[in-house]
Amino acid sequence: MDEFQEILQDFLVESFELVEKLDEDLVELESHPDDLELLNGIFRVAHTVKGASSFLNFDTLTHLTHHMEDVLNKARHGELTITPDVMDVILESIDLMKALLETIRDTSADDGIDVAACVARLDKISNGDLSGLADATTAEEAKKEEESVTEPEEEPDYENMDPDDVEAEIERLLAQRQAEDKAKREAKIAAGEEVPSPPPEPEEEKEAKKEEEKEKETAVEKAPAPVATPTSGKSSKKEEPKAATPAKRAPATVEQTIRVDVKRLDHLMNLIGELVLAKNRLIKINDDVEERYEGEEFLEELNQVVSIVSLVTTDLQIAVMKTRMLPIGKVFNKFPRMIRDLSRELNKKIELVISGEDTELDKSIVEEIGDPLVHIIRNSCDHGIETPQERIAKGKPEEGVISLKAYNEGNQIVIQIDDNGKGLDPEMLKDKSLQQGIITEKEAENMSDKEAYTLIFKPGFSTAAAVTSVSGRGVGMDVVKTNIEKLNGIIDIDSEVNVGTSIKLKIPLTLAIIQALLVGVQEEHYAIPLASVLETVRISKDEIYTVEGRSVMRLRDDVLSLVHIGDIFEVERILDASEHAYVVVLGLGTSKLGLIVDILVGQEEIVIKSLGDYLKGIEGIAGATIRGDGGVTLIVDVVALMSMAKDVKTTDLANADDGTSLTNEKTKASDYTVMIVDDSKTDRTIMRKSLEPMGITLVEAADGQEALNILKSGDYNFDAMLVDIEMPRMDGYTLATEIKKYNRYKNLPLIAVTSRTSKSDRMRGVESGMVEYITKPYSSDYLASVVQRNVNFKPEFL
Amino acid sequence: MSDKLKDIINKQGQQQESVVGQLDDVVQLVGFVIGNEEYAIPILSIQEIIKPFTWTRVPQVPKYVLGVFNLRGAVIPLIDLRTKFGLPTKKQNEDTRFIVMRHGDDVAGFVIDRLTMAIRIKKENIGPAPDTVNGENTIIDGVGKQEDKIITILKVNKLLERDF
Repeated sequence: MDEFQEILQDFLVESFELVEKLDEDLVELESHPDDLELLNGIFRVAHTVKGASSFLNFDTLTHLTHHMEDVLNKARHGELTITPDVMDVILESIDLMKALLETIRDTSADDGIDVAACVARLDKISNGDLSGLADATTAEEAKKEEESVTEPEEEPDYENMDPDDVEAEIERLLAQRQAEDKAKREAKIAAGEEVPSPPPEPEEEKEAKKEEEKEKETAVEKAPAPVATPTSGKSSKKEEPKAATPAKRAPATVEQTIRVDVKRLDHLMNLIGELVLAKNRLIKINDDVEERYEGEEFLEELNQVVSIVSLVTTDLQIAVMKTRMLPIGKVFNKFPRMIRDLSRELNKKIELVISGEDTELDKSIVEEIGDPLVHIIRNSCDHGIETPQERIAKGKPEEGVISLKAYNEGNQIVIQIDDNGKGLDPEMLKDKSLQQGIITEKEAENMSDKEAYTLIFKPGFSTAAAVTSVSGRGVGMDVVKTNIEKLNGIIDIDSEVNVGTSIKLKIPLTLAIIQALLVGVQEEHYAIPLASVLETVRISKDEIYTVEGRSVMRLRDDVLSLVHIGDIFEVERILDASEHAYVVVLGLGTSKLGLIVDILVGQEEIVIKSLGDYLKGIEGIAGATIRGDGGVTLIVDVVALMSMAKDVKTTDLANADDGTSLTNEKTKASDYTVMIVDDSKTDRTIMRKSLEPMGITLVEAADGQEALNILKSGDYNFDAMLVDIEMPRMDGYTLATEIKKYNRYKNLPLIAVTSRTSKSDRMRGVESGMVEYITKPYSSDYLASVVQRNVNFKPEFL
Repeated sequence: MSDKLKDIINKQGQQQESVVGQLDDVVQLVGFVIGNEEYAIPILSIQEIIKPFTWTRVPQVPKYVLGVFNLRGAVIPLIDLRTKFGLPTKKQNEDTRFIVMRHGDDVAGFVIDRLTMAIRIKKENIGPAPDTVNGENTIIDGVGKQEDKIITILKVNKLLERDF
């Protein structure tokens, strides 16, 4: 049964592709009814589907396609003109065919759909002007004959036959076919026609081959040779009419393609993702090495290797991304048909102009983009384009034009839908939203035109006076917004009353590997998809205003609402926020938000990884990525962030929290804790010896980094620190600067103990926040007295 | 002499039998300590045991979920069992380990205070979870009795289940 499934899958994939193409061709056909090439193409599709479905025993489908084929055959013989009415029936039958194919996909059977009515109509058309078309009847008869031959072929119960019988049966059938074909060919040769050499028909051949494989494995080796004969027979039959009218259809340049399971591509993409991470890491290591071994000769070589690796990785990534790309034409194809149906339904004249259908997008995005586009185009047809009478009254051409454009813009693809209809009237939109209770009067007043346009995306909003079958329920545009946001896309609307509306959808090219802006808040880093970042600005604290309990700032002419990333992700504010902050302006769909962060780290290519089942669905987090240093950085979910921002209370940046007081009550000498930071063991011992007599607790650290770690761990409450200046890893100045960043340690006395005696050293010490400056050598008593003074040592403990 | 030989052969036979017997109904566990209690989980549900390293905090999760860490390219949640079991947090020291447990597709790292040892324990020495902890919801699979102590055996699937 598996092999049957496989054949079925191939059949379905093939058929859906054909049908998709069909729609486009048919609409085209209506405007050029005598384009023989088009007709032939359409006929071939119907024929191919019929052939394959009869092999697979889908009787209903075969029945339907057979009758379609009849009508189309007549049309291409010029015995039938394609009028809009005829086209309606043909399109209806194609819809039925699609429905049948879908049923087959879901249930592996084609029952449940009644095609009788449609078949009757098709028959009526094909019989409508049958008189005087004798040769057509013969053609039909010939086909019927073949049909009747096909039927009994399928009838015997192969499942229960023993192998020998099956073989015999196949032999018999093949012989029968060959005889038939031979007879046909002979008849044709007799008629003086040249038998064209059969064009390759891989699909049918494969179908046929697999069918036999299914029936019996042992027959396989015999199958290929004989099978070719019936195929050629069929195609020669198909070529017949072409031979009559000289075939101008040059053999289309066949694209060399193979069909690959999407799973394999996904896997490949994952592997590339790993490679990108490794590359990032390599670059980081290279930077570190460069810093440490500056000027060494091997560095250049290393540099070269690293840059080659990173170049190739990037190329490889692009190449694999390209394999996942599909032309957006796949989605655009269905619109000519839709516009045609809609314009008939709405009694409007609409022309659809498509350009840039070759623009490519990641497969997953192509799948998501279809629905939003359908809604936008329906909307344009229903609300945008006026009726012909209105248009004439306005002095516009009777026929409205909707143009659908796709093009690349940087790392994004832009899909633009323009119509030359009546445009959006911001005042009317505001009135409607007020009536429908979507916005308040106050909001309406403050709304710019551009903001008013975005009202059409609000759920429940509808300008239509009545709900029609086309639109008016107020859901469609909401779907557009949600789907585009899901893809991290941006919607941009522009409109002018009576001139038209233009909607731009800006969508990132791919979803798995993205460019991200890395930002820092306190000690944490977050990655924000660059596609959602409009700009970054540096502001000072007093540029932030509070309006109705929300932080806002003025950005050029707009008022931008602000939210601190720390408030959203519950980041503890330990470090002192500086006078300045960075605002990352996020744009998504139609809304904007300013995200306040402490620092901007930079731009990096990141690979999105899921957080797994255990942590899935955390609001505001879209996933995680692994950075060059092996650490994990969380990726911000901009969509969720926007909605979370509405519920976040503003925290006043100025007084985040007061430095936790360190003035704990001291009851004995050992309650005083002092840290000694010096890289020399001897120096540490000297200091220890000098201070031990006081009875205070002493903690030692060998360099700045270690000291900082001890501070951060919070194991001790330090009252003072003795800091050497010359130290490996982190020197005393840097340590002091770092310590002063913490609110908690703002008032911690730092005492420099050093052999550097120049004035500039002292100045630097003061600048970095040192309170005392002791030069080596010093006397024990002096050191002790300085420490006592700085920790407010109570004399009674002495 | 032959008696002695017989004895030895008999003894070996018995030992073999007991080995066979062990294979049948012996559970292999790995023991670890959290707070003052010793716990154990089946050895087969352990993917690996690693020394602690840095992790990334994740917002909006219960306190016992410390965050996520990078295990050779996979992003894995890290759960502090001390906090989960309602014990005060303790600084990680050199005995601290991350046990990466796997059940089906679910993987997570768990912070434990200290490993003890791999334990073989006969099935008959494993009692049911005490009655006070009720039915399906408990994370206790059973209580293993050893000569001088008892060990609480935990359900890995329950540990890996998201409960927030």
